[in-house]
Amino acid sequence: MIVAEQKPLNEIKALIADADKVLILGCGTCVTVCFAGGEKEVAILASQLRMATRLDGQEKEIRELTVQRQCEFEYNELAADYVSDADIVVSLACGIGVQTMNEQYPDKLTVPGLNTGGLSQPTEQGVWEERCQACGDCVLALTGGLCPVARCAKSLLNGPCGGSQRGICEVYADRETPCVWDQIYKRLEKLGKLDMLMEIQPAKNWHSSRDGGQRKIVREDLRL
Amino acid sequence: MNYTKRLLAEVGLEPERLEMFFLSSAEGVRFAEIATEMTERARRLGPSPLKNEKRFEQPTEVEG
Repeated sequence: MIVAEQKPLNEIKALIADADKVLILGCGTCVTVCFAGGEKEVAILASQLRMATRLDGQEKEIRELTVQRQCEFEYNELAADYVSDADIVVSLACGIGVQTMNEQYPDKLTVPGLNTGGLSQPTEQGVWEERCQACGDCVLALTGGLCPVARCAKSLLNGPCGGSQRGICEVYADRETPCVWDQIYKRLEKLGKLDMLMEIQPAKNWHSSRDGGQRKIVREDLRL
Repeated sequence: MNYTKRLLAEVGLEPERLEMFFLSSAEGVRFAEIATEMTERARRLGPSPLKNEKRFEQPTEVEG
């Protein structure tokens, strides 16, 4: 899922400093599941902002709403009355939701209340680890289902590098992050497919990733 | 509880205004102790700055 974390309260306060009426707009999909921008988090932030702005002597009217999916226009239509009534919108969605709102309601500024943090898997309660970098040319079939693009600090396609020590990556200060190439080796060994590693992968074409600029998927069969 | 205390601190309120205690309905003495402790704490911290200030204004003496 797309994961995100709330920005510090003071940063959000600064974003809304000039507004009197503020709408906190949550999203009911990915950021609800990762406890960053769902109905509950909207209520908590709204409550914090009510108290904080009152203590600052600049009390604001804070309204709350959560739509099912802020990255799609039709869901945000339900927020129209709330948006028109507000001076500014604080979006508790990922960066896609923020941009959808700004495009859909061009006369109103929607600012981000979250920092979007990647495409991650919840590996334990309260922990999300990045698993996919959306590179646009999936290599998981070559690597036993573990992604070296997202999980190797160097995104190596022919790993491991010399910094893999006893299965641990040298890059991370925690000295606990596993070397994904060590994991790939062990996985392919278990599957009896170590010979796959004998094939040297050519340099990846990053054009399908960010190097080609903004990406766009068009499905002609689905277009109206 | 720690999370909620942190939220209060971020806002600028004293986190010790909030506390949670576990006790059974049979522990009347303990309940009284807790009530006393929290009352003393509230007195020490003073009125919540979020409350309506008028409520805490001292009645002014009427002249004459």
